[in-house]
Amino acid sequence: MTALSRRDALKGLGLALGGLVVPLRLARAGEAAAAAALAPNPFIHIAPDGLVTLVCARSEMGQGVRSSLHVLLADELGADHTTVRLVQGDGDEKYGDQNTDGSTSVRGHWKALRDAAAQARMMLTAAAAKQLGVPVAELDAHGGAVHHEKSGRSAPFAQLVADAAAQAVPKEPVHRPRSELKNVGTELPLVDGPAIVDGSAVYGADVKIAGMLSAVVLHPPVVGAKLDKLDATKALAVPGVKYVFELPSPGLGPKGFKPLGGVAVVATNTWAAMRGRAQLVVDWLAGDRAGWNSQEYDASLSRTVNEKGSSIRETGDTYAALETATKRISAEYHVPHLAHATMEPPAATAHFDGAKGTCEIWASTQNPQAAIKQVADTLGISTSKVTVHVTLLGGGFGRKSKPDYVAEAAFISRLAGAPVRLQWSREDDIRHDYYHSCATQRLEAGLDANGKIVAWLHRTVFPTIASMYVPIIKSGVAQEHQQGVLDWPLSIPNVRAEKGPAYDYVRIGWLRSVHNVNHAFAINSFIDELAHARGVDPKDNLLEVIGPARIVTTQELGIGDLPNYGASLTDHPVDTARLRDVVERVTKASGWAERKSDSKRGYGLAVHRSFLTYVAVVAAVAKDEATGKVRVDEAWICADAGTVVNLERVRSQLEGAVIFGQSIALFSQITGKNGSVVQSNFRDYRLTRIGEAPRAIHVEVVQSERAPGGVGEPGVPPVAPAIANAVFALTGKRVRELPMMKSGLV
Amino acid sequence: MTITLDVNGKQVEVDADPKMPLLWALRDVLGLTGTKYGCGEALCGACTVHVDGDARRACVTPIERVADGAKITTIEGLSPDGSHPLQKAWVAQCVPQCGFCQTGQIMSAAALLKRNPAPSDEEIDRALAGNLCRCGTYLRIRAAVKSVGGAK
Amino acid sequence: MRLLVLAMLVVFTGCTNIPLQTRPKVPATGQPLKTVAELGALPDATAKSKAAFAEASKVLTHARCVNCHPPDDSPRQRELHEPHDPPVARGLGGFGSPNMYCPTCHQLENVEGTQLPGAPNWHLAPIEMAWLGKTPAQICNQLKDPARNGGKSLEKIVDHVTNDKLVGWGWAPGGEREPAPGTQKVFGELMAAWAENGAVCEEESR
Repeated sequence: MTALSRRDALKGLGLALGGLVVPLRLARAGEAAAAAALAPNPFIHIAPDGLVTLVCARSEMGQGVRSSLHVLLADELGADHTTVRLVQGDGDEKYGDQNTDGSTSVRGHWKALRDAAAQARMMLTAAAAKQLGVPVAELDAHGGAVHHEKSGRSAPFAQLVADAAAQAVPKEPVHRPRSELKNVGTELPLVDGPAIVDGSAVYGADVKIAGMLSAVVLHPPVVGAKLDKLDATKALAVPGVKYVFELPSPGLGPKGFKPLGGVAVVATNTWAAMRGRAQLVVDWLAGDRAGWNSQEYDASLSRTVNEKGSSIRETGDTYAALETATKRISAEYHVPHLAHATMEPPAATAHFDGAKGTCEIWASTQNPQAAIKQVADTLGISTSKVTVHVTLLGGGFGRKSKPDYVAEAAFISRLAGAPVRLQWSREDDIRHDYYHSCATQRLEAGLDANGKIVAWLHRTVFPTIASMYVPIIKSGVAQEHQQGVLDWPLSIPNVRAEKGPAYDYVRIGWLRSVHNVNHAFAINSFIDELAHARGVDPKDNLLEVIGPARIVTTQELGIGDLPNYGASLTDHPVDTARLRDVVERVTKASGWAERKSDSKRGYGLAVHRSFLTYVAVVAAVAKDEATGKVRVDEAWICADAGTVVNLERVRSQLEGAVIFGQSIALFSQITGKNGSVVQSNFRDYRLTRIGEAPRAIHVEVVQSERAPGGVGEPGVPPVAPAIANAVFALTGKRVRELPMMKSGLV
Repeated sequence: MTITLDVNGKQVEVDADPKMPLLWALRDVLGLTGTKYGCGEALCGACTVHVDGDARRACVTPIERVADGAKITTIEGLSPDGSHPLQKAWVAQCVPQCGFCQTGQIMSAAALLKRNPAPSDEEIDRALAGNLCRCGTYLRIRAAVKSVGGAK
Repeated sequence: MRLLVLAMLVVFTGCTNIPLQTRPKVPATGQPLKTVAELGALPDATAKSKAAFAEASKVLTHARCVNCHPPDDSPRQRELHEPHDPPVARGLGGFGSPNMYCPTCHQLENVEGTQLPGAPNWHLAPIEMAWLGKTPAQICNQLKDPARNGGKSLEKIVDHVTNDKLVGWGWAPGGEREPAPGTQKVFGELMAAWAENGAVCEEESR
């Protein structure tokens, strides 16, 4: 049952008015008054009848938060996670930062969620101590009741709620011992599974409210192009079309999350709106961004990467060591712009109420708080007048953390004087994305007379995400370089990394694992090239480059500071023991040592640490006898993410990462011609299809009680280089440019 | 213009242009949102429904082509309560990630099993070639279809 | 680097104004095709037949035609004869295989607002009628061979190419596709002239 209509007892909580409420197997049917409930913090609500309601304040986009976070809460609380009610949190400051991004849902909220649950548990336990007349220390909460083991007595939550609510909220909640979190780290059920498979799950485009109109937008063909002339006569003549509106150009200054401007067509249904849009006659005026042509642009990146750049990482004297090296090896790598291509194109429903001056939104957004802010900015109203309800997301991958389309819907709703559901077409999605940054990189190594690697020079050139917010920034920043350039452990005496400038013709955004895609590809490919140049087994060579098990300091890395994905280096050091461990595990699982006996397939290996998680991949590729094309036949992926909550969702994320990485390696690219994106739909923005997926993907998750790392993203970076290295092993062809389809390999 | 459609065993009147794709008639007019818009070009399969038992892409099928007696089945009509063996297998094997493509995947798989009750991996791949999944759940889709169809 | 500085200057001063247009899509136009009359005076029937076929072969070897006359199990698409995506198989009678039958997607007409082509009876030509990758001379001989032309008489062939709706789609392919050269009528007349003048084929070069 989906519950857009369930404006129920949760009203008292201030939760989820009209939001997505998917009850788990409800303990009881009765709805309770909120008055005497136990609600020590925004995440937990226990009704007088004992019904536990837990809030998921992160957006579900396939990574599994709605099948994970409440289990952590329930375990810490002592509730049965299968009988609690799960509520999706609207955008609200009270939940802290809700930006579902950077693989932070577990790693960034582990403590806060346990604090929240521990508070409630301590209040319940204190109430039970009073009622049962026993010391708190002898009590334990589990299964929705507080138990006194010695006497065999227990008090269900329902009996304790009133007394517990009268307790002071503990300021310093005490967590249970980790061993008591019985469900954490196990394979847990898929909460939204039943609603997904019967079609009742509600995504951004599935919202319907009374009097709603449908809208689509014709966006400027080039970023920043302004509308010059509009003739809407034919569009307005299309049956069902009600309005055509000019949308303001975002103007100069940071692009941020501002809508792109253009022309909105509003109609009684989506198809009429799309039909109307096809009839628009528009003249635009574009700025210099109309000069984006991929071939020229990529050539300019290549020129830049062949010039000395500014140093961002330095140990020893790399240029001197290269001069005196016995042998120098260099290679240049290119990864193109990529689109997120979530299966659900961006969609949002907005209701601007002119009388109240409020705007209520239902949207598939990764970042409801940013959506509130952008809607308020775009409409020129206070954020307190904006409500954002988060639906399920049909994929996010970083695209839906940018709420440009949400603000667009709000703006159109105000113009139309009616609630509006905005639907981006697939063409809009592919042509007007915040693109994954392309990157051109050059790596050079110097070998001494014994073949030892004595020097390493890495240059990376890419248009920076920072250009979205501070347009004058035209080269990468530390938060980007940490993604593989600054933090890669290299047991090499002379290491230098440099950056160079690159112009941002398009909106640049973050896509699942971000720059790690580019950097892991170049570094792992180059290390594999060195292995072959040195005549050393790629695995042994890789471990030699990583060096012995140790904690790698910023001093060893030759950098001042490592952003480290917002985590401290004390909690999450760069640990080569863990990096080496996943390499050992994945090579063991894949039979790496005996791979030569597999005459039909080539094997490739790659490893990468990102979002505090260590992942190694082995890919086995084979040649299709009939077509001569290469296919990915089998893959092994091993991850050490520290503590995991839902082992099943972690496995599914890693399986998915292999396919996602395969699309990057083999098929996908965004290119520009005269400032416009060439690709438009799945016919030319190609993704892996089922018949192209490996026959088998073997996933190993390292059992660990260390602090949790990220899961959604870190599986992706090592996939493309593992495939590229496997292609070299099979065919002797070195892939230095993605996607491989471009060179006819696949 | 009023067009009569047979959707999930019920005769429904749709007041719409005869060229309107079935997808939008289902979603915008009839409120059956389990059928998804993913590409509008028959490239992704998210809109897959059954017409007289066979898979069809609703996003490119004008309603005039399925009027007057063609039996249209959407995910909402595949089973009364989500109990189709494929739906059960999908949940049991935790196939979905974001889930957006999965109703289309299930409709395609259901049409396949009617024609071929025990498909091999290759036959599944061929029959589901038109259904994209960006999250990468393909291996679980194969496994779930085989668990229902019985592996060859 | 220098280019970059220039480009940045341009952006910050905002001095360029490049006009761009968005217009409702109009169908692409095809290449010309000579009529029989335009082929000029020719000495004999053989020359007339050969000239008519040479002109008609601009159509017979065009992507709109050969893409659905492949020598294997996959239809092709676009001007460079790329494999059909999503992948589909020829199947029974050239109508596809379970779940991926041609009518799973293709309609009786091109679908408005999309690139999806359609026409009545949308399917692949039988494999023995494969044209893709063949020379006009090879196609010519194939057209006369009942084993490789569906057992048709020359009259039937001329009637088919002149009147069949699926053949006719080639001149109104929709989307961004280039239509086959000329018109179906002129093509039919060229084929008729070829047949009436003896259905002469050039010698196959290998």
